[in-house]
Amino acid sequence: MSGEDIVVDKVMDLKGMPCPMPIVKMSKGIKDVEIGQVVEALTTDPGALADFPAWARTSGNEIVKTDQEGDVIKFYIMRKA
Amino acid sequence: MMDQTTRDDLLKLFQSKLNQAMRFYLETCSRCGVCVEACHVYASMGQVKNISAYRHEIVRRIYKKYYKARGKVWPSVGEAKELSDMALEELYEAAYTCTGCRRCMVYCPHGIDTQMIMSIAKLLLVGAEAEPEILTMLADTSIEKGKSLDLFKENFLTGIKNLESKVVKKWKIDAGETAIPVDFKGADLLYVALAGAHSIVPAAVIFNAAKENWTLSYFEAVNFGAFVGDPTRTKLILDRIINEATRLGVKEVCICECGTAFRVMKQMADKQPFKVSSITEVHARYLREGRIKIDKSTLDDPVTYHDPCQLARNAGVIDEPRYILQHLTDDFRDMTSDVRYNWCCGGGGGLVALGDETLDFRMKSASVKVDQINETGAKILATACENCHTQLSDLNEHYEMGVDVRFLSSMIADALVQSA
Ligand code: SF4
Ligand code: SF4
Repeated sequence: MSGEDIVVDKVMDLKGMPCPMPIVKMSKGIKDVEIGQVVEALTTDPGALADFPAWARTSGNEIVKTDQEGDVIKFYIMRKA
Repeated sequence: MMDQTTRDDLLKLFQSKLNQAMRFYLETCSRCGVCVEACHVYASMGQVKNISAYRHEIVRRIYKKYYKARGKVWPSVGEAKELSDMALEELYEAAYTCTGCRRCMVYCPHGIDTQMIMSIAKLLLVGAEAEPEILTMLADTSIEKGKSLDLFKENFLTGIKNLESKVVKKWKIDAGETAIPVDFKGADLLYVALAGAHSIVPAAVIFNAAKENWTLSYFEAVNFGAFVGDPTRTKLILDRIINEATRLGVKEVCICECGTAFRVMKQMADKQPFKVSSITEVHARYLREGRIKIDKSTLDDPVTYHDPCQLARNAGVIDEPRYILQHLTDDFRDMTSDVRYNWCCGGGGGLVALGDETLDFRMKSASVKVDQINETGAKILATACENCHTQLSDLNEHYEMGVDVRFLSSMIADALVQSA
């Protein structure tokens, strides 16, 4: 699936947030979309880059794509649970 | 309604907490009332349910129902109470309005430890799956990272590479050196940070300035297992760091500005082949040994410092931040003449991690903290804990305090002197 094919239903800017807000906001934010829809999450924090995939595994959601634009990493996360 | 099997399982958990110290705490309160004013929640909001002895009572009445007091002392505890769904609700209210700051313990003539008693409440809630879901989710995310590190490594290393230019901008390093070493066998010190760049960049700048032989951990320091009061999860999260430190053979594990992470790691320290330090202790050491120099003229405004409860009252890191501040400013204004009695910021015990859900309570329950800060007249409010920093920033905004909330480490990094 390429970035252009993904329909994003919600964008969340999680750059520079204090611990553990990126994951807290993400886990709440994903509930705002329907199962099968996608959230785009933006971050610059190294820990968050490892935390998101770990969170997706434990929460049963799926990271369908990861993109980098300059310093900013974009996760496309599909709500599965 | 709670069935017998569930109750029996929960009582087993209760039993697992009943060591000698805990029995003493549960059997000893003389109802002297000295702790009434000690809790910032009560002092700010004035509700009886927030008095520390009242919190103990919720647990103590269940204890009275199911366990026999061993000693002769059996205080005038309220009625024994069955462990029921309603009791769980009360336990939740008591445990998740207590930050575990242990200020009340300093006042209590018997040294009764509310945080310990509340750990029974938290464990029962975990057993009944009635704990704040978000804390367990955060703990499980950390555990998952430990289990499947290989899947997440590359992402992390990409993020770290992106930060290196920011580090070098603040402190030039020699050719061939790495600005943020990761997984470096042969390092003396393993630095355990948090997810955010703000917890890595200033620290890396200072390590490089001090010519430390260091490496960064793959893992985050914070232990949500401890916040949610789950000993099994707490240990799994800790083990990730202990295993990494042992594998790399480091002499010292340095915990970032996170009070709970430091206290939890420190408790394990004597069983490990490495020393455990807080980053504040390490920075004070660099200054003492002349390994870094800082310029006092960078700060114009008066500075005060909030002692994170888990770092100061509960782990003894008190002189080091003050020593650092002496090098940063001539106008340091202490909030209290005795740090043991310092007010909690109101964000501990997992309350900050619960985010907006607890915001209203966190603001209302910490008005005494706001008064304490305002009385100093300081314009810069330094601290050395992520949790406190978030809570203090929320208070600053809510109460329009007009202070600049800063991490001590970033104040040092900004004032470093690099000779040409
Ligand atoms: S530990 Fe802190 S928050 Fe909890 S009852 Fe004691 S003073 Fe209050
Ligand atoms: S100060 Fe200690 S002994 Fe006195 S009421 Fe409070 S908990 Fe009980």
